[in-house]
Amino acid sequence: MADNISVKDTLDITKDVCPITFVKTKLKLEQLQQGEVLEVILNDGEPIQNVPRSVKSEGHKIISIEQIGEKYRLLIERGE
Amino acid sequence: MTIDYNELKKGGFLRQKQKDNFIVRFRCLGGNLTAEQLRNIADLADKYGKGYVHVTTRQGAEIPWVHLDNYNEMKSEISQLGLTTGTCGPRIRTVVACPGSEICNFGLMNSRETALELDKEFFGREVPMKTKLAVSGCPNSCAKPQENDIGLVGAVEPVLDSEKCIGCGVCQKVCPNQAISMVDGNPVIDNAKCLYEGNCIASCPTDAWQETRRGYLLYAGGKIGRKPRLGQVIDKFIPAEQAVEAVKSVVKAFETLWQKGERIADTLDRVGVEAFQEEMHRDAQRGADSI
Repeated sequence: MADNISVKDTLDITKDVCPITFVKTKLKLEQLQQGEVLEVILNDGEPIQNVPRSVKSEGHKIISIEQIGEKYRLLIERGE
Repeated sequence: MTIDYNELKKGGFLRQKQKDNFIVRFRCLGGNLTAEQLRNIADLADKYGKGYVHVTTRQGAEIPWVHLDNYNEMKSEISQLGLTTGTCGPRIRTVVACPGSEICNFGLMNSRETALELDKEFFGREVPMKTKLAVSGCPNSCAKPQENDIGLVGAVEPVLDSEKCIGCGVCQKVCPNQAISMVDGNPVIDNAKCLYEGNCIASCPTDAWQETRRGYLLYAGGKIGRKPRLGQVIDKFIPAEQAVEAVKSVVKAFETLWQKGERIADTLDRVGVEAFQEEMHRDAQRGADSI
């Protein structure tokens, strides 16, 4: 379902740990315009527990979350 | 000069092992001290103590080595500075609190505000045995409410709007107690396992998880000491504005059921949870009748 969404940029945070995972995601989102979509690849465990929550509380919109093996692919639309 | 030790203890002056030396206990409301209060306490420690402050485990500040000869002078200076001293003995003690929803990412309830209301109502009140209160904004329980005679824990109850759910499974991942499982691509919650911390609500990308109830879980019977034990939940989802009444009903039930030497934990053990709850409700009913 997320395949027809135009992704503006991609970020791989699978080598990072909290809070760098969120900081990198936040900084990347700030480079986007409102409405543009960021793809984030993150690990299972602690990142998937914290990143969606933090992204949501910062006012961005999570469009989809998809599990790919041991990793997750998160599509985030930049909020205001 | 005759010394009324009980009167001193009431006002937060604790006898040291060294003759005529006292520890002066201050209390910080909801765990906060302003910069000005800190400066004043520091000055008092220089002037009356030995230039240091002991930080207590229950968010208090103590100045040791105050000589009895300086008691009156220090007491009047404390009151001029607008500082509040702690208490000890068989009384309701300082109400401990975490920062809560005011600033914490996980906070569900404004624990500091509730702590201030409880402090205003109960601080220093004489009870059969020492009674400690703590308020945490969420089930992470940083203020350790389960270690206190009476504790409040901010909580939220989730419910799923399946129309909005996209079946991503994040809620299952973020649930700390495996209360949510994915069945045929849809989340299913086992309410008995829910810890009410609201991770599913906070993480859900589509707001499919929503809150039905928010309030405090009421714990009673926690204590540390030589025979530590954790408190247990005796009521759920108490709105902030009813926190004072809820605590009052626990205190009243304790006063009624108490036997010599018991803290709330011991009374609860002896009479059982149901009997204790019944007494709490009886008190609440009496209160309602008298209005």
